[in-house]
Amino acid sequence: MNFNLGLVHAPLTPFAEGRIDYSTYGRLLDFHLRNGTEALALPMHVGESVSLTTGERQELLEFTVRHVGGRVPVVAHVSEAGTAIAASLAAHAQKVGAAALIATVPYYWTPPQPMLVEHFATIGRAGGLPFFVLNAPADMGGVEFASKSAVELIGRLPEFAGLIDTSMDWQYMIEVVTVARAEKPDFQFVSGTEYMISAAAVGATGLVSTLASVSPLLVRNLYRACRTETYAAARHLQEDAAILFRLMRDAGVSGLKVAAAMLGRDCGEPRPPLVPWRDGKALFAAMSVAGSFKAEPRGWA
Amino acid sequence: MGLVLKGVMQSPVTPLKEDFSPDYGTFERLVDFHVRTGATAISWPHHKAESHNLTIAERKALAEVAIKAVAQRVPVSIHVSALALEDTFDLARHAQAAGADAIIAITPYFWKYPPEAIYDYFIRLGTSFDLPLIAYNSPSYLDGVEFTGELTARLIQRLPNFIGMKEASFNSEKFFEILRAALPLRPQFAMIAGVEYLLPSVSLGGAGSYSSAGAICPNLCVELYESCVSGRWDRARAAQYKLSQLWLLFRDQYPSSLKGGCVIMGRPVGPTRPPLPTASRERIKFIERRLEELGIVQTEPHGW
Repeated sequence: MNFNLGLVHAPLTPFAEGRIDYSTYGRLLDFHLRNGTEALALPMHVGESVSLTTGERQELLEFTVRHVGGRVPVVAHVSEAGTAIAASLAAHAQKVGAAALIATVPYYWTPPQPMLVEHFATIGRAGGLPFFVLNAPADMGGVEFASKSAVELIGRLPEFAGLIDTSMDWQYMIEVVTVARAEKPDFQFVSGTEYMISAAAVGATGLVSTLASVSPLLVRNLYRACRTETYAAARHLQEDAAILFRLMRDAGVSGLKVAAAMLGRDCGEPRPPLVPWRDGKALFAAMSVAGSFKAEPRGWA
Repeated sequence: MGLVLKGVMQSPVTPLKEDFSPDYGTFERLVDFHVRTGATAISWPHHKAESHNLTIAERKALAEVAIKAVAQRVPVSIHVSALALEDTFDLARHAQAAGADAIIAITPYFWKYPPEAIYDYFIRLGTSFDLPLIAYNSPSYLDGVEFTGELTARLIQRLPNFIGMKEASFNSEKFFEILRAALPLRPQFAMIAGVEYLLPSVSLGGAGSYSSAGAICPNLCVELYESCVSGRWDRARAAQYKLSQLWLLFRDQYPSSLKGGCVIMGRPVGPTRPPLPTASRERIKFIERRLEELGIVQTEPHGW
């Protein structure tokens, strides 16, 4: 179970005429591989996982594993509302060659903590792969995976390898690292946002990046500076990342897609209910306030 | 306004006698203890000092004791926030007359109001007195009322005496948003974390923190800060993890358990005023066990 997430890009999912555009997706995967990713996680929320059918999710994963051909590990995101559906996605991911699994709390239901532990234990057992919980309370109706539950899941699921956090909540982050590592010393704590400095100082060893679609260079430099703990030097990178993060928190997948297109990597429009971002020019201008943005790669190179 | 804040700043609890009246003598010793054990500033009365449970007259009298006990060894800021803003201004006037080095104030309690009201309030506070002003941001306790980077920047531009912020969101994004708006305008502006969350804040460019556990483990507080500023991150993590365990121990019905812990360390500060409970004998026993498990009893000063 020695699987380390490291720097993980979460790609967009390209659509053409409403269907997954695999020829573009192949080029996009190659782009991420050339631009610093150590593993790929998909389809994350930024890859519109919730707008894909179960069949599409499975097909997308199979395509990716084939296309990547072992160059980096492929991590499958298997979050679902129903435990059995998520568990079947996990089993499928294992069968087709995924290296690890990511799941967040069930959609829509706001289950109490014991139900979360049960949910994750079932998915993790079905997958039999290193398993990461995505703690994303702001996206998931305020439901947080409590540190006590993390400890419980460590006891229940040997595959439980770590936690990806997007809460950015210092009290939570430090608490979960402290109690989880007391149970399991190699428990991984991974930043799920590009606010990497504080996460790394607290003990994060990885980053799952959604901004890598538009700023892979910045993401790689920030990640490296944080992993070498040169935080003062990382601060200007963190500022640029904060500018982009806040823009994309408002603009979402639609914003990332319009920006990617303007960078010469057209991935089509997002699926409904998301609507295409109207004013790409203004968004792009706002992104360019981040000084490092100019140097980001254009096109598919 | 040459006051520059940094390091671990202590906000003492308020010692009470068994009849719940202020224990002035013990307060003096406590303030002196903090200064002798590494506090880079004193700030009183934060909420852990039961500010809400003290009368305005008591707050004034105790503020005078604090300022006198510190005797200019480190800067003293007085927390002037009260439910009624008339009382806040009264406390600020008093703090200035009593010789405080700064005042600190949170966004007004209870009411919901637009960001402009925060701006107007701090402009009024900042222009009414000649003291350096520290703002206090606590979105989780005040139901989402909070500073933004933009609001902070506007206040800095208008108020030469606005020198820092206690930023108690405990959130990387919120903390950094204010920091990156403030520092380009005022490089010495002190972004001060709540409790001792120094590892995630100093790494981001924060100046230091106020302290929860300083009356229990001053050595550990100093160790954490020194490790952060000298880039010894492994040591910093070890200290931060330990301090965060202490915060979990004290957080609930704060500062009841903290006052209970002071008994174990040989520095009793008396009960806690209702509605907060006073730590029971069983609770104190439990705290003692935790303090031993964490190695605090063995490594920190006992008695005054």
